[in-house]
Amino acid sequence: MWQQVEQSLHSSMGLVVNKIATLLPGILAFIAAFLFFLLIGWLVALLVRRILTAMHFDERMRGGASAIAEWSPRATPSLLVGRVVFWCFVFSGVVVGVSALGTSEHIVSGWMLGYVPRLAGAAILLLAGNVLARFVARSVLITGVNLNLSYARLLSMGVRWMILVLTGAMVLDHLALGGAIVELGFGILFGGIVFALALAVGLGSRDLVSRSLEREAARPVEVAQPEKIHHF
Amino acid sequence: MAAVEITEETRQQAERVGPPDVVVGIAGAVSADELRVRAQQILSELGSGASSLRFVFAWPGATPEAAAGAAQPAENPALTLVPFAPPTQGTGELWADVSASQRAVLALAASLNARACIVIGSDLAALRTHLIQLFTYAILDRQCGLVMPVYPPAKYDGLINSGILSPLSRALYGKRVHYPLAFDFAASGALCAGLARTSPAAANSLLWPVTVAATQFPQLPVGQVHVDAHHQVAAEGLELSAVLGQLAGSLFQEMDQCASHWQRIRGSQATPAWGNAADGQPDGQPIDPQPMLDSFLLGSKSLEEVWRLLLPPNALLELRRLTKLPPDQFRMPDDLWACIVYDFALAWRLRTINRVHVLGAFTPLYLGWVASYVREVSNLTSAAVEQRLEQFARAWEEKKPYLLSRWRWPDRFNP
Repeated sequence: MWQQVEQSLHSSMGLVVNKIATLLPGILAFIAAFLFFLLIGWLVALLVRRILTAMHFDERMRGGASAIAEWSPRATPSLLVGRVVFWCFVFSGVVVGVSALGTSEHIVSGWMLGYVPRLAGAAILLLAGNVLARFVARSVLITGVNLNLSYARLLSMGVRWMILVLTGAMVLDHLALGGAIVELGFGILFGGIVFALALAVGLGSRDLVSRSLEREAARPVEVAQPEKIHHF
Repeated sequence: MAAVEITEETRQQAERVGPPDVVVGIAGAVSADELRVRAQQILSELGSGASSLRFVFAWPGATPEAAAGAAQPAENPALTLVPFAPPTQGTGELWADVSASQRAVLALAASLNARACIVIGSDLAALRTHLIQLFTYAILDRQCGLVMPVYPPAKYDGLINSGILSPLSRALYGKRVHYPLAFDFAASGALCAGLARTSPAAANSLLWPVTVAATQFPQLPVGQVHVDAHHQVAAEGLELSAVLGQLAGSLFQEMDQCASHWQRIRGSQATPAWGNAADGQPDGQPIDPQPMLDSFLLGSKSLEEVWRLLLPPNALLELRRLTKLPPDQFRMPDDLWACIVYDFALAWRLRTINRVHVLGAFTPLYLGWVASYVREVSNLTSAAVEQRLEQFARAWEEKKPYLLSRWRWPDRFNP
């Protein structure tokens, strides 16, 4: 019996070692391809930045109401273009590396290769959602404060989380994780929030609204007073 | 240079009378009949003293109806009305449209080879004989390159100008000018083309005559004349944050473009002023600064996360201290306000956050300054207010090294 156990262990060990030996060249090829594209990307991005600087790309973009300049608040437009080029190469390196992995193991690489576009799409969605949430939340906050709304911060936070939740659901859906649970969960959550808000406003402020309407109806018509302060 | 269309008839008329000495241009839509009456009155009042000078009155009326109105025979044969095509693209923004019209007037004067150009606001409040005389005197007799107006002092008028535009322009370009952005001003023939030049990248940028004069024509003297006119700005429908964003944003843009010039300028020079200073307007009822203070407090409570990206820790600490003061003791120090504006200009330049957000987050701070200013000057006379504003402007000059340091080394730690 011990012989059979030993034989079984030996054969499983052999299988695992064999599997690793089969995968190892692919992993090495993946790392080599990734590093190679990383280096190429860095060099090309550097070259692109140099060329754009020589062409006075930043000045041209800053001069007009350029969309690139507006969406790259901290970085210069040439730096932004350089970064895009660099990350394109990194992405290509990952794809080439995964396909190199495929020469050693078809099943793993096939699954991974098929999933890479989804991962990339999800990453872009997540990034775009975060940027959008931050931008819109800040816009709402600043506009609200300039309109003297005391609840501007709350409003901004609500808008931010709405966009983030929506983004999260879209990302999970794009990754095909969770299946119908995500759709159902998001629908319930979103609908619940809206319903709760409607109930809160409808029931909680019923008296407030009626009092406000009564006050408005009873208020005499006011003649607009000329402003005493002129800002411009 | 801004494109100006001159009708063939007008061109022939201009060639017949020869190059004018002075072009008086109206920057904005105006009734042809009213302009003709006012121009004839001015020419007759100028009389023999100025008879040697040839005046041309230009107005944006190169439309069929307006041209028909202009073609009517004038009572005074010396009167020359020159219609020109108004700027084609109206932005709908108050000052952008005014600046476009001003550029068109200056471009026309440059194309007619005028010795001087007087730009008048479209409400014609400044189209008066003695003001035309004063502007002409300053340009032609005193050889000024640029003459800006000094409007009658009013404590609570033009607060964006008093609180930001005037002191910032003075600290940057070293010219003590009360109104760097004005409806009325005059320029010499040499300066007209420079002022009319519009960079293609800044089609809706505002016209800052003092900046152009100080940076591109530093050899030309700048003067001022007292203009006893009051312009009525249609403020209905205009949001403070939008107008403040437009004016401050435009000035920050000029700062960015002229950085190499203003970094070399230290201190400021007094500018000669001609004419009699008008009396200040009566005080009227006292103003309650509490609504403005409330806006500031709301901003400091809600916008701290945004201000933290734009202001250094020291300024944030000072602002927090201000929020804890009782309303009757609220006062924003001059140097703090100057540093805040400088920091916002830097944030606008660096695009620390979106520029619209930078300018939007500026409004509550500005209202805080207004609240402090209103509380401080409520019991002062007009003369005392002028002195106070002079002291205020000096604080901006004293803080200019701070701006220079931040501008040159923005990444250096700044407590």
